[in-house]
Amino acid sequence: MYGWIWRHLPGNALVRALISALLVLGIVFVLFQYVFPWAEPLLPFGDVTVDEGRGA
Amino acid sequence: MTITDNSRGTGPRVPSWAAGPPRRPRRGLVASVVSLTGELLITIGVLLALFVAYSLWWTNVQANREAGRLSDHLRDSWQSGAPGALDTDGGLGFLHVPAMAQDVLVRAGTGTKVLNEGVAGFYEKPVKSAMPWDKAGNFTLAAHRDGHGAKFHNIHKIDVGDPIVFETKDTWYVYKTYATLPETSKYNTDVLAPVPKESGREKPGRYITLTTCTPMYTSEHRYIVWGELVRTEKVDAARTPPAELRD
Repeated sequence: MYGWIWRHLPGNALVRALISALLVLGIVFVLFQYVFPWAEPLLPFGDVTVDEGRGA
Repeated sequence: MTITDNSRGTGPRVPSWAAGPPRRPRRGLVASVVSLTGELLITIGVLLALFVAYSLWWTNVQANREAGRLSDHLRDSWQSGAPGALDTDGGLGFLHVPAMAQDVLVRAGTGTKVLNEGVAGFYEKPVKSAMPWDKAGNFTLAAHRDGHGAKFHNIHKIDVGDPIVFETKDTWYVYKTYATLPETSKYNTDVLAPVPKESGREKPGRYITLTTCTPMYTSEHRYIVWGELVRTEKVDAARTPPAELRD
């Protein structure tokens, strides 16, 4: 998978390394900005209130 | 001598690492599947690690920024001396618990959106919180233990006898911790009752209840701290904190 991506990136190794770094940063940004905030309420780690069981 | 040998200067010198990808020998199907599985597992591991970093670090950064902005806003509105209309939208005041070493802005509501701003919220449901200035009742608060500001992270450091001080525009409400409940069911709404019987009190009084989740990093149970009002102090011009906060 990663080998395939690497082989399909353009340019020499330096350019590929730069593009890879940008891809990684972009993915981390999308995760932190959109995916994790969406996923977090679905996971049972952040409920702090007492309630009647309908889930806070 | 072969045609691909360009080391003698007959063609551009191309370092071997920049040349096109070397042709790999074809791998067996099994090897490919194993390799893909391995890469997927590594990816999942990295994703989970990133999620932990997000939960325990990034949400704190975001929440503290938001809480700081809201706190400044509230202090500004106090200073500007707008007539004492009760505006709980901007926040009610600040909770100071020396044992937790945190000053926490208190706002209305305990919904995810409110608490994720790095504040403590007073309960509106299932049991409506009393206000500190009410003649009797239970001022009930919730905040995150981890992530999103983690304002009640150190709730386990509060011992019986420790002060809990709530600051509003013109009054310091000084409470004293008289009971803690290190673990209870998350459905135990009795802890929010105007007279919280589980804390051992039977008569109406002016109580404060802090709730958060426990054990740390999970939401399995709830941790409860109860205090009762000892005295109130008028806020002076310099906003001198009461003795409990000065040591």
